[in-house]
Amino acid sequence: MPVRRFAYYPGCVAEFSSKELNATTKALAPLIDVELVPMPKATCCGAGDIAEAKPNLYLTLNVRILSEAEEMGLDIMTICNVCTLNLRRANRLVKEDPKLLEAVNTELVKAGARPYEGGSEVTHLLWYLATEEGLSLLERQGPKGLNGLRVAPYYGCQLLRPSSVMGFEDPDRPQSLERLIVALGGEVADYEAKTKCCGFPIILAREQVALRESHVALSQARDAGADCMVTPCPLCHLAMDAYQRKAEAANATVYNMPVLHLPQLIGLALGIETSVMQFTRHMVPVDRVLAQVGAS
Amino acid sequence: MPATTLKIFRFQPDATEEPQPYYQDFDLEHDDKITLLDAILRLQNEQDGTLAIRYSCRSAICGSCACRADGRTVLACMQQVEDLKARSGESTVQVDPIGNFRPIKDLIVDLTPFWEKFRSVKPYLIPDGPPPEKERIVAKEDMQRIVKEANCILCAACYSECNSLAADPDFVGPAAFAWGYRFAADVRDGERKERAKLYSGPHGVWDCTRCMFCNERCPKGVDPRDAIEKLGGIAFSEGVSWADGGARHAKAFLFSMRTGGKLNETLLVPFTNPLKAPLDAPFALRMLSKGKAPSPLPHKVKAHDEVVKLMKNVKETI
Repeated sequence: MPVRRFAYYPGCVAEFSSKELNATTKALAPLIDVELVPMPKATCCGAGDIAEAKPNLYLTLNVRILSEAEEMGLDIMTICNVCTLNLRRANRLVKEDPKLLEAVNTELVKAGARPYEGGSEVTHLLWYLATEEGLSLLERQGPKGLNGLRVAPYYGCQLLRPSSVMGFEDPDRPQSLERLIVALGGEVADYEAKTKCCGFPIILAREQVALRESHVALSQARDAGADCMVTPCPLCHLAMDAYQRKAEAANATVYNMPVLHLPQLIGLALGIETSVMQFTRHMVPVDRVLAQVGAS
Repeated sequence: MPATTLKIFRFQPDATEEPQPYYQDFDLEHDDKITLLDAILRLQNEQDGTLAIRYSCRSAICGSCACRADGRTVLACMQQVEDLKARSGESTVQVDPIGNFRPIKDLIVDLTPFWEKFRSVKPYLIPDGPPPEKERIVAKEDMQRIVKEANCILCAACYSECNSLAADPDFVGPAAFAWGYRFAADVRDGERKERAKLYSGPHGVWDCTRCMFCNERCPKGVDPRDAIEKLGGIAFSEGVSWADGGARHAKAFLFSMRTGGKLNETLLVPFTNPLKAPLDAPFALRMLSKGKAPSPLPHKVKAHDEVVKLMKNVKETI
């Protein structure tokens, strides 16, 4: 199969605090016939914060990112729920409203940036892989598999909702993570809160509220007998992994729940070296996961 | 004729001294276009007169009959039973009262907190000065700013599934803030800045966790989360952006953008919560030991001068 090229938009968290996600995605790409082309001019998407403070600036900055991909002649691939929503939302707004696109382009040109013609799309790694074609890419690798690892899929919010902007699957009955888990030889630990919020957007400003939010999914995943949780979003990962001990203290309970980034779960099944996937950067140890799948 | 089992949440506080909620299955044959509300009303008429649901207009205007069908909040009058079954692939539909409220009887909940919070945002025009001699003319484009929010029918579908509310029952919530925006952005209103102050602070707009359930569930396309976001924009345009940690969190993003273009995560804590930061030293050290505290220096993108110019030039119109 020919290599599919994408403008790669890892997002700030995967580039800095959660480098393990970026490193694993880059190691995975050649195995799934994907070439990730860097976007040197791309800024932060604003993560909803810039949209909340300065909505016109949010739109202009995100269209500038879309324009860089268009200039490269490529669609964008993301590995973060929040980046996906912010970029897709901006794309939809200007594609639906030519006058708005014109106003944004006027600002871009004035600042010396390239105007956007509406010619780029944004997809997430999960969406690319959870199709028949994507699953066949994985199958061709002859995955050594997950050895029945019980995995709790955790979607979080912004890859599902609002479905008018995201639209890949039914936001109330998503199945993309489940399809991948099963295809890779794992078992699904199902639980209701897999589409609920991790609390991350308010974890610094309202820590106790956020920790009550992450508790819902973490406790349900534990009670469903999960060996680990997997998420397509590095912000969810921070809330569930980095803040897990705090959530345990705040909710007077123990989860002891390893949390994997999506490409790490795939990497385990395909036999990517564990050192490449940098599990040592996780706050909750993943030893029991590695033991179950026979990785060292 | 299709047949459906409706598995309905029952709670009858007047039936026993210690009422316990339970589910009751009702079988119903019905025509293929029946709405969930009509199905429930038929059960009430034909099978069990004690089954309780609040409703009035039956045509998605009054906002009374919101309930949860297979876990998803809907207006019962707007939802066809066969569509629910097609979606789930099951012949049973489970019906529950809306979430984040205390059930009073069967599908009826106590809406008192919802109305209290609605009143707390001052959901009415507060004119600036005495009324004019004739009517106030509002330009079409000024009305278009608030037309979505003005469509809110206060059905509480958004409130039912708000994840912030589930974690903090005092959060003012999506519907009330949609109304808050509707008046804060009304050109005839004279208290834009006071509203920005009123809506910030504890349990206010900066408590929204952006789960997007409200936008997903609203049957009228109000997009309450977008209204909350716009109230953030109004807070910034009115200079009400230093008082709350949530707003300062956004300032860290703007500062990162101006200085490098990518988020400088290390700045988020001192911006958002400078007083608490020292108390969090053990956590910070754990993060540091795992490499999760990146360099505080700016992360510069190529052509960053374009970004600086955009930040200077782009005018906000909120």
